[in-house]
Amino acid sequence: MSGRPRQPRWWRAGPVPTAVLLLSVGLGAAATTGHLAGAGEVRQRPAVPAPALVGTTLAGDRFDLAALRGRVVLVNVFASWCGPCRDELPLLVEAAGRWSPQGLAVVGLNLRDGPEAVRALLREADADGLTVLPDPDGTRAVDWGVRGVPETFVVDRAGRIVARQPGVVTAQWLQEHLAPLLAAA
Amino acid sequence: MTRGGLAGRRLLVALGLAALLALAVTGLARSAGPGAHQDPVRALAAELRCPACQGESVADSRSPIAASMRQAIADQVAQGRSPEQIRRWFVDRYGPEVLARPPLRGTGLLLWAVPVVALLGAAYAARRSLRPIRTPGAPRRRRPAGRPARRPAGARPGPDEGSTPGRRPRVAWWLSAVGLAVLVAAVAVAADRLTPPAPPPPATDPAAVALRLARDLEGQQRYDAAAQMYREALRERPDDAVRLRLAFAMLRSSDPAGAERTAREVLDHTPDSPDGLLVLGLAQRTTRPGDAPRTLRRFVAVAPDHPAAGEIRRLLTS
Amino acid sequence: MLGDLGTAGLAAGLLTAPLAALLWLRVALLGAPARPARLASVGALLAAAAACAVLETALLGRDFSVRFVAENGGRHVPAYYTVTSLWSAMDGSLLLWLLVLAGYGALLARRAADRLRAYAMVVVSVVTTCFFALSTFAANPFRAVDPVPLDGPGPNPLLQQHPAMGVHPPLLYAGYLGMVVPFALALAAPLAGAQGRDWIRRARPWALAAWCALTAGVVLGAWWSYAVLGWGGYWAWDPVENASLLPWLTTTALLHTSLGGGRGRERWNSGLACAGFLLVLLGTFLTRSGAVASVHAFTDSPLGPLLLGFVLLAVLAATVLTGRHRPAPARVAAPVWSRRTAVLVNAVLLVTVAAAVLIGTVLPLLTEPLAGARASVGAGYYQRTAVPLAVVVLLLAGVTSALRVRDRAAALRRLALPGAAALSTVAAIGLLSRPGPAALTAFGAAAFVLTGLLTTRPRRWAGVLGHAGLALVAVGVAASSAYGRADERTLRVGETLRVADVSARLESVRRGTPDGRMAVQARLAVSAGGATRTATPQLRYDPARDTAVTVPAIDEGPRRDVYLTLLAVAGDGGSATVRLAVNPLVGLIWAGGAVGTAGGLLALAGAVRSGRQRRSPAARSGTPVTAGAPA
Repeated sequence: MSGRPRQPRWWRAGPVPTAVLLLSVGLGAAATTGHLAGAGEVRQRPAVPAPALVGTTLAGDRFDLAALRGRVVLVNVFASWCGPCRDELPLLVEAAGRWSPQGLAVVGLNLRDGPEAVRALLREADADGLTVLPDPDGTRAVDWGVRGVPETFVVDRAGRIVARQPGVVTAQWLQEHLAPLLAAA
Repeated sequence: MTRGGLAGRRLLVALGLAALLALAVTGLARSAGPGAHQDPVRALAAELRCPACQGESVADSRSPIAASMRQAIADQVAQGRSPEQIRRWFVDRYGPEVLARPPLRGTGLLLWAVPVVALLGAAYAARRSLRPIRTPGAPRRRRPAGRPARRPAGARPGPDEGSTPGRRPRVAWWLSAVGLAVLVAAVAVAADRLTPPAPPPPATDPAAVALRLARDLEGQQRYDAAAQMYREALRERPDDAVRLRLAFAMLRSSDPAGAERTAREVLDHTPDSPDGLLVLGLAQRTTRPGDAPRTLRRFVAVAPDHPAAGEIRRLLTS
Repeated sequence: MLGDLGTAGLAAGLLTAPLAALLWLRVALLGAPARPARLASVGALLAAAAACAVLETALLGRDFSVRFVAENGGRHVPAYYTVTSLWSAMDGSLLLWLLVLAGYGALLARRAADRLRAYAMVVVSVVTTCFFALSTFAANPFRAVDPVPLDGPGPNPLLQQHPAMGVHPPLLYAGYLGMVVPFALALAAPLAGAQGRDWIRRARPWALAAWCALTAGVVLGAWWSYAVLGWGGYWAWDPVENASLLPWLTTTALLHTSLGGGRGRERWNSGLACAGFLLVLLGTFLTRSGAVASVHAFTDSPLGPLLLGFVLLAVLAATVLTGRHRPAPARVAAPVWSRRTAVLVNAVLLVTVAAAVLIGTVLPLLTEPLAGARASVGAGYYQRTAVPLAVVVLLLAGVTSALRVRDRAAALRRLALPGAAALSTVAAIGLLSRPGPAALTAFGAAAFVLTGLLTTRPRRWAGVLGHAGLALVAVGVAASSAYGRADERTLRVGETLRVADVSARLESVRRGTPDGRMAVQARLAVSAGGATRTATPQLRYDPARDTAVTVPAIDEGPRRDVYLTLLAVAGDGGSATVRLAVNPLVGLIWAGGAVGTAGGLLALAGAVRSGRQRRSPAARSGTPVTAGAPA
C-alpha cells in the first residue's frame, strides 16, 4: 500500500467512515425536515364518497345512510369501553339537539360492544335519543377506515366524507366543520 | 488399513452423504412447496400494520380495531377475494402505510439497496483485510504531521511524562475546555428553546380518579362497588352532583334506604333538585310506598322536560 | 425539598463530569497526575448515584411535588414496582442511564494512568457530560409540580406485571453503556500513539462484559414481552427491540474480529467498536424521542433533536479520529481456510444483518420527508433479509470446530459427521412435517453446530457455550414459529376451544378488583395429555391511565408452553373471547440465552485473567506486548 499513488484527502479519511458520516448527516437532515414538515399536521383528505352504512339500530329500526342524503350526518365511532368516548358523548348530544332543525343527523357507530353496556352508557349520558348502529365485529368501522375509538366523520348533504377527526372532538371542531355545511342549505 | 479399503470407505461416506443430501433437498422442497402455508387470513393480517398501535401487525395486535380488521380480512377471504384485492381494499381505506411491507418503489428501494451495499462494502473491506501485506518488514508509516513530540512521550508513560510540556498541548487543552463549555451551553440553550409549553398537570385529583373509577364500575353494572367509589369521591369533594350519583348507584345496588338518605341530603341544600326528587321518589317506592307518588309528582312538576319525566308519568298513571 | 436536592445532584454531576474530562485531558496532554481526574470521575458517579437515590426516595415516599413522581408514582403501586418505576419513564431512566455510565467511567478510571486510558476517560467523561446536560436541562425529573397532586397514576400498567421489570432495564443499560468503553478506547487509540496500538486487548474485556449484559437483557426483554404483552410472541421487530439488537450484532462481530489480539483487523475492530456505541446512541434517539413510533410525536420532547445532535457529534468524532488512523501493518499471509477468514465472513454477515435491521427501523422516519407518504416495515421484511442471513451465520458457527485443522482434507473429514447430522435432520423433519424452508434450514444448521461441538474436544469452552446458546435459540425460534398453533374464539361458559391436542373449557368469568385495579378473570380447565389444570387469564383495566392490559396464563413446560389470553368478556359474564396458543420449545430460547451469556462470562473471566498476567511487572517493563491468547 505504501507504493500507491497519492489519494485525495477525503479518501484518506476512509470510505466507510465517510459514508457513515454522510449517511448520518442525511438522516439528521431528513429527520429535521420531517420534524419541520410535521408542524403543519392533519392534512384533511379530499372529500370521498362515504361507504355504505346500513343496518338495524339499537332501538330496532332500520338505518341506511343513503336515505339521509340531503342531510348532514355526523358519524361518531364509539364504544362503552372507551373512556374518551364517554366524555365526548354529551357534546354530540348537544350538537344533535342544536343543529337537527337545520338538517343534522348524528349516528353513533358502536364498535365491538354489548347492547347492555351501550344502553347503560346512553342512559348515563342522557343520550337515549341517539341513533346507534351496533357494529359487533367492527367490520363496518374498518370499511370506514377507522383507526381507533373515538373517531368522528362529517358526511355532507351529497353523501361525501368532508372531515374526519381521529380522537375526541371539541365543540370548536364541530362548530368549524358543521356550521358551514348546515348554513349552506 | 489398505489403500483400497480406505478408498472404499471414502466412497461409502460420499455416497451416504449424497443420499442424505438428496433426502434433505427433497425435504426442503416439500417444505417450501405449496400447501404448506398457514391460513391466508393470518398471512394477510401479518402484512398489515395495526393503525391503532405502535409497530404491531394486525395479526398480533390485541386492539379492537385490529380484531375488526382481522374479521374484515376473514370475511373477504370467505368471499373469495384475492390477497392483492384485499390489500388494495385496505390501502384505499388506511393509506399505503397500512402495508407492513413497503412497495419496491421510491424510498422502499432503500430496504434492499442498503443491505446489499453494506454486504458489498463489508465484503470488499474483508477482502482487503485478508490480502497479505507484501512487505511485512516495512517501517511504520509516517505519523501525521504536527505531532512530532508524541512518540517519545508515549513510549514512557507515567506521571513524570509531561515535565516540560510544549505550548501545543496547552493550547489544545484550553480549546477543549472552551469546546466543552460551548457544548454544555448549547444543550442548555437548545433544551430551553425546544421545550414545549408545559402540559396541563395530569388529572390526579383523587376525587376525579374515584369518580372515573366509579363511572366505569357503573358501566359494568357493579353498582355496589361504584357506590363505594362515589362515597370515597364524596369524602374528597363534598358536592351535590357526586351525592346524586351516589344516590343513583345505591338505588341500583338495591340499597333504597341509603339512596333515600343521600337524596334527602341533596334536597336539604336545594329543595327543588329534580334529580334529588327523582331518586328520592324511586327509593321511596320501596321504603315508603305511600310517600313515593307525592315525591314523584313533585318531580314531574319541577322538571317536566327531564328525560326521565315521561317514564315517571307513565309509572304514576299505571 | 427533595426536588431541589435532586436538581443539586444533577448540577453536581454537570460540574464534575466536564471537570473530569478536562482533568483527564491534562493527564493525557500534559502528563499531569491522574489522581485529581480519578477523583472527579468518582465525583460524577456519586452525583449520579445521589440523583437516583433522591428520586427513589421521592418515589417511595410518595412525594408528589416532584414532577416524575406526580407523573409516574401512585399510592396504589406496590413497593417493588415503585422502585422499578424509576426506569418506567424517560426522565427517570435517564438517571439510571447516567448512573451506569458514570459507573463505567469510574471503573475505567480506576487503573487509568497511561495515555490511552486517559484519552479514553476524556471520551467517557464528555459523553457523561452530554447526558448530565440532557438530564438537567431537557428532562429534569425533579422539577416542582404546582399544585401538588394527592396521587399519581402509577407507572404504565404493563410495567407493573412482571418481576423481570426489576432486572431487564438495568441489564440492558449495563449492556448499552458498556459499549462506551470500547468506543472510547477506539477513539483514544489514534491519539495515544504507540500505546494505542494495543487498545483492542484492553477493550475486549469491556466489550465482553457489555455483550453479556446485553445478551441477557435482550433475552429477558423477549421473555418479558412473551409473559406480559399477551400476544403470545417474544419478538415483533419493533423499533425498541431492533434498537437493542443492533449493537448486539456489531458487538458480536467485534468479539470475533478481536480474537487473538485482532491482528490484521485493526480497522474492523475500531469500526465495530465505534458502531456499537453509535448504534446505542442512535437507538436511544430513535426510541426515546418517539421519532419512529410516530414522526409527529417528535416535537413533544426536546430530547429528540438533542439526542440526534449527540449522535451526529459522536459520528463526527469517530470519523475524524479513527478515520485518519493508519494502524501498523501486522498482516501476514494466512491460508484461506483459517480462523481469520471465518471471522471476517462472520463480521461481513453480521454487518449486513445490522444494515438490514437498521434501514428497516429508520425507513419510516426517512420516507415521510423524502416521499411525503408514511411507510411501515413489518416482520415480513426482516424474515426475508435478517433471518436467512442469521441462518448462514449459524452455519458458519458450525465450521469453527474444523478451523484448527490446517489441512483442508482433514477439515472436511472433521465436518463430515456434523454435515451428516445436519442433512439427516433436514431430511427427517422435512419429510415428516412442513415447517417452511427457513425453519427447516435453521434446524439443520443447529444440528450442524451442536454435533460439531459435541464431537470435537473443545479448547475454549467460552466459544462452545456461545455457539451452543445460539443454536438453542435458533431451534427454539424455528420450532415455536413453525409449529406454534393458536386459535381464538368466543366461548360460552361450558364450551371448549381446542388447539392441537390441548383443549380449554371455559368454566366461569368473574369480575373483581384485586389490588385496586378492575379485573376480569376467566377460569378455564385446560387438559393436555391426560392432565387437567386450571388456568386463569385476566383482563385488567387501569382507570388512571385508561388502558386495558391482558394478563396471559402461561403453563411453561420443557416441551411446549400452553398460552391462554383473555381478549374480551361479555357484559353478562356468560361468555368470553379466549385465545389459546400452543408454543413448542419456547423454553429453549431462554435456555439458549442463558447458555450464551454463560459463554460470554467465561470468556470475560479468561480475558480478565490474561489481562492481569499482562499487567504483571515483566510485561510492564516496556517489552512490546505480543499475543497473549493463543492464536
